[in-house]
Amino acid sequence: MILNALSITMIFIGALSVLLTIGGGVSSFILYRKWRRPSTPEEKTSLEDRSYLVLLIMVIVLVIRLINWPLFYVTLQSFISDIEGAMCIFGVTQVKVSLTRFLEFLKPITFFLIGGWFILHILDRATKTSPLMGRKLLVLSFISLLVLMDAIGDILLMIGIVPESLVSCCTTITDISNRPTRTTPLSIFGPEYARPLRGLFFITHLALIGMIGLALKSRIFRRPVLGLLFLFSLLNALLFLLSQIEVFAPAMMHLPFHHCLYCLWQYVPDSIAMYLFFILGTFSVGWGFTTDLFGKIGEASSLLPNYVGKIYWAAFFFLSASFILLVIHLLLD
Amino acid sequence: MPINKRQIILLIIFVIISLVLGCQGERKPIESRCDYDGVKIEPLYAVYFTLQDGAEKKFCSIACASMSFPALKKQMREVRVVDEPSGNKIDASQALFVESEVVTLPHVKNRIHVFAKKEDALKHIQKFKGNWVENPFFL
Repeated sequence: MILNALSITMIFIGALSVLLTIGGGVSSFILYRKWRRPSTPEEKTSLEDRSYLVLLIMVIVLVIRLINWPLFYVTLQSFISDIEGAMCIFGVTQVKVSLTRFLEFLKPITFFLIGGWFILHILDRATKTSPLMGRKLLVLSFISLLVLMDAIGDILLMIGIVPESLVSCCTTITDISNRPTRTTPLSIFGPEYARPLRGLFFITHLALIGMIGLALKSRIFRRPVLGLLFLFSLLNALLFLLSQIEVFAPAMMHLPFHHCLYCLWQYVPDSIAMYLFFILGTFSVGWGFTTDLFGKIGEASSLLPNYVGKIYWAAFFFLSASFILLVIHLLLD
Repeated sequence: MPINKRQIILLIIFVIISLVLGCQGERKPIESRCDYDGVKIEPLYAVYFTLQDGAEKKFCSIACASMSFPALKKQMREVRVVDEPSGNKIDASQALFVESEVVTLPHVKNRIHVFAKKEDALKHIQKFKGNWVENPFFL
């Protein structure tokens, strides 16, 4: 185990999350079941009081988990000097490959669900009758399971990464000629795949921003439209990842043959802001859809268009920000 | 939703922040940085390419240089490697290359060692279960 301020923080918030999530998650599910049953006004009041307490505890846990995602990478970055052969975060991920990969996959999903849940929570709080309480509790109990896995995973990883572990770093894996991020566009566009891939990403990204702008202007917030935009944003995210690895990251790093995104964050730190904007923009499109999916009930229905509009404004803002940062970099380089 | 003044101001602030961040991101060149993966170069294991136009490329290891070599081969004028026992730069065509169980740089798992003298190379082969390998920078 590598002991530093960050790893101790990770273990501490991991343990705290486990404790609070077990209690909060189980209570959420019990309250959800009780919420569905008909009850007297007194029982209803008691149920509401208990729900607010559980929600308060879980809000604290979820905020911690939102911070946990970037903290996870900052902690891995802090381990680089203690792992022999690690030159960037990639090297650290090679110490416990399966667990790290699982956590890297789980964290964005958890982040997305927590963000979506918070929007539902805010929407519900804006109403007088709390029509979303039942759904909120149900989603919360599901999120609790993911948070629990994530927190336990964090603790196990922090304990499992042993100092002086010997690993090989990104060069031996991300730069091999048969990497899937190269072979996939190669099979579609041929050997000169970089230019079409770059063009395709620009087209999809600008199209996504344009469609969001159009939806905002004409206020088309129907579920099929929101769903299609969400799917399109996922496709755009896939292209973003592919074009970043194959085209943009090597250009931004001034290392034409190197394709490691962790190295990009290390050598060009402000690219982290670009990624952050992109993630928030893509997730905002998804949150627009999930808010419509879960929030269309009772009193909340009338507030929904206004909220979806705000979420879409955020998506428009973040995706544009990410795009501008990328363009500035390409122009400067 | 109509665009109001507040949102326009926010957008302008954002553009300014983006520009500042973007400019800050313009990476300053680091002298001892590998031209393949950007890591700090340990001079004893470095490889130097001199291109036809006089430009020089430097790499942290034989592994990184080998991966860059095919793309730069046509423009190559000279390849220099470092003799491990003495630390002197020598022409790759005159160097002896040995692969052994000793890893010079763990991050690229480089096991290829460079020697100027045959006796040094033989000593290394015997001591570390090595074997001869061809010059990876054959022009």
